[in-house]
Amino acid sequence: MSKQAKETTRLDTSYGELIWRRFTKSRLNLVCLIFVLFLFLLAVFAPFIANDKPFVIRIDGKLYFPLLRNLQPSDYCIFLAAVVVLWNVIGRLLPFSVPLGLRRMNHRNTSGLGLSVAIVSVGAVLIFVFVPRRFDAVDYKTMDACGKATGAIFAFIPYGYARTELASRRQPPSSRHWLGTDDVGADVLCRLIHGSRISLSIGFVAVGISVVIGILVGAILGYFGGWIDFVGMRFVEIMMAIPVFFLIITITAFFPRSFLNIMIIIGVTGWTSNARFIRAEFFKLRKQDFVQAAVSLGLPLRSILFRHILPNAVAPVLVNATFGISSAIFIEAALSFLGFGVAPPTPSWGQILSLGVSTSGRFLWWLTLFPGLAIFFTVMAYNVVGEGLRDATDPRLSKVA
Amino acid sequence: MTTYIIRRVLLMIPTLLGITIVVFAISRFAPGEPVSFTGGIGGQIDTGQTDVTSARMKLYGLDKPIHIQYAQWLWRVMRLDFGDSIKHHRKVSELIKERLPVTLMLNVVAFLIIYAVSLPVGILAAVKHGRFFDRASSAVFLMLWSLPVMWVGQMLIGYFAGPTFKNWFPPAGLSSNYAEQLSFLPRLADRLWHLVLPVLCLTYTGFAYLTKQVRASVLNNLQADYVITARAKGLSEPAVIFKHVFRNSIIPLITIMATLLPAMLGGSVIIERIFSIPGMGLLAFEAITSRDYNVIMAVATIAGILNVAGLLLADIAYAVVDPRISFVSAI
Repeated sequence: MSKQAKETTRLDTSYGELIWRRFTKSRLNLVCLIFVLFLFLLAVFAPFIANDKPFVIRIDGKLYFPLLRNLQPSDYCIFLAAVVVLWNVIGRLLPFSVPLGLRRMNHRNTSGLGLSVAIVSVGAVLIFVFVPRRFDAVDYKTMDACGKATGAIFAFIPYGYARTELASRRQPPSSRHWLGTDDVGADVLCRLIHGSRISLSIGFVAVGISVVIGILVGAILGYFGGWIDFVGMRFVEIMMAIPVFFLIITITAFFPRSFLNIMIIIGVTGWTSNARFIRAEFFKLRKQDFVQAAVSLGLPLRSILFRHILPNAVAPVLVNATFGISSAIFIEAALSFLGFGVAPPTPSWGQILSLGVSTSGRFLWWLTLFPGLAIFFTVMAYNVVGEGLRDATDPRLSKVA
Repeated sequence: MTTYIIRRVLLMIPTLLGITIVVFAISRFAPGEPVSFTGGIGGQIDTGQTDVTSARMKLYGLDKPIHIQYAQWLWRVMRLDFGDSIKHHRKVSELIKERLPVTLMLNVVAFLIIYAVSLPVGILAAVKHGRFFDRASSAVFLMLWSLPVMWVGQMLIGYFAGPTFKNWFPPAGLSSNYAEQLSFLPRLADRLWHLVLPVLCLTYTGFAYLTKQVRASVLNNLQADYVITARAKGLSEPAVIFKHVFRNSIIPLITIMATLLPAMLGGSVIIERIFSIPGMGLLAFEAITSRDYNVIMAVATIAGILNVAGLLLADIAYAVVDPRISFVSAI
């Protein structure tokens, strides 16, 4: 009771602070949030943690930096995205405003988010055009071992995720390979670490797509109502009527299986719940005074919908997005497990899991247990964070509890 | 009541048409011409309009405009004619007639078990709100909810149905090879023995989801005024819970029934693949790996139809159970 009293007496608490306090009441929420952040770091720095190229090596007295030289365009894209995200986080924490940051989402600054997305996508295109793809086939490990080179500093896990080493295939965990090797002799731990990038990027991009479609459709249906809403909702109903997983595997049957396609397919099939949330919120808000004020000021429709109403309606969708990420990660793993996912040299948790029963029917426990645990912990962390956010943003619960 | 049902059924028609349009559109938006697959190597080499391709296009009606193609396909679908399977060289409708009962049996068994477990656990968790049982059960179910089904299936087979560890259950199929010769009871036992692991995989996510809903619904009702009235007039606690709270909190669970079943149908693709159970899911899986387009389209259409039928049943059941729903205003 005293806690509650304390919460109500401080009237200067901001909405964000209130949510943060409710969210961190549960220790589990905090642990899972930290785990999610840890996964981020793992995904961003994967090439520095697990790589078969050394950071530094001295060959014939000259210093080389093979690891840095061999970073691919996709690596640079991930770094760019990470920097933009970090910039936004710092922008929110600092007391003064930073250019391009999305300070205060609940105010009318949603354009910061759009700008960040634009920077990342334009940057990605530029990186893919200008950064050359390198393929370095030099075996630095044998060079180091037979004394041709000296002073090599390898990454923590000195294996590449696409390295095939047929001599040591399907080995159970040992001191050389901590989590064993898969059917072509690649280190499982290394593939798991690099697989976290695939999982997270599919999760985030797919959810981004589904949130954008959901907001666009939901905003129009909810704001206009009437026959537009009736026709639109029938369409949403149709999309919901086909079980999502069936819809996804049907589409994967007809379209080529690539990383990009899978992100798009999961995003394009998952927007219906977002559209319904946004529609319901817009329905409530469109009669409110501030909307009427915006209309009577003669603001353009785009401004009314996305600058005035949307910031007040976006909270349930952002909470739902957390569950969306966990379900996208799960769907990607399931697709890869069934063999409809990304093609094998690309590391994916579901693909490693599918190797757990060899073609001769032998059960390889390390190829089942570890990727499964990775999927399980990731999905659970996102689910717990989502639940925590939902409870924290639910106004009814603050009355009850 | 009758008008309500008729209106619901009529509203189903555009949805069903929409499903067929979506399925048809997916198959036609796909890159590549359908005949180039059947044409084999030769078909892939000649890219121009040769006589062979145009004859094939004409044979399958692909030379006509797209809306006429759709109308023809729809007309055949309405007569339950989905064409022939390229892989099985049989009618798709026959294949589905064989496979659908298997999947439905699997899902209905799992469904009953989910309700049998979740209702008591959910009610108990709500009654013991905030105490050990509530917190323990929600923690356990949160974990179950996040367990990837392909992992659980593979682990169960590996540890309980393989030569490496324990060999307690059969790893695949629905019945043993000799099941045909058995009399009824041993045959039933054999079937149940085969069902244990797949049904376990199908149920545990449902436990988590449904228990949470039951708990929330019961909790909601426990705070209602009529509970205070019932307690005030001296009813025993079981009577309050089962006669008053339970009956009111069961109503929202009916709509959940409609959302649970399609989710399970989707999940059964993975489970049927892992346990090699010859149902719709495995049929869909095999059709996709062999690009058997007629089967894929048929399975997607039927899954959609089943789903819509489930929604309709839930709506009608909702109206029957809850007399407060007015049939006039609700569309």
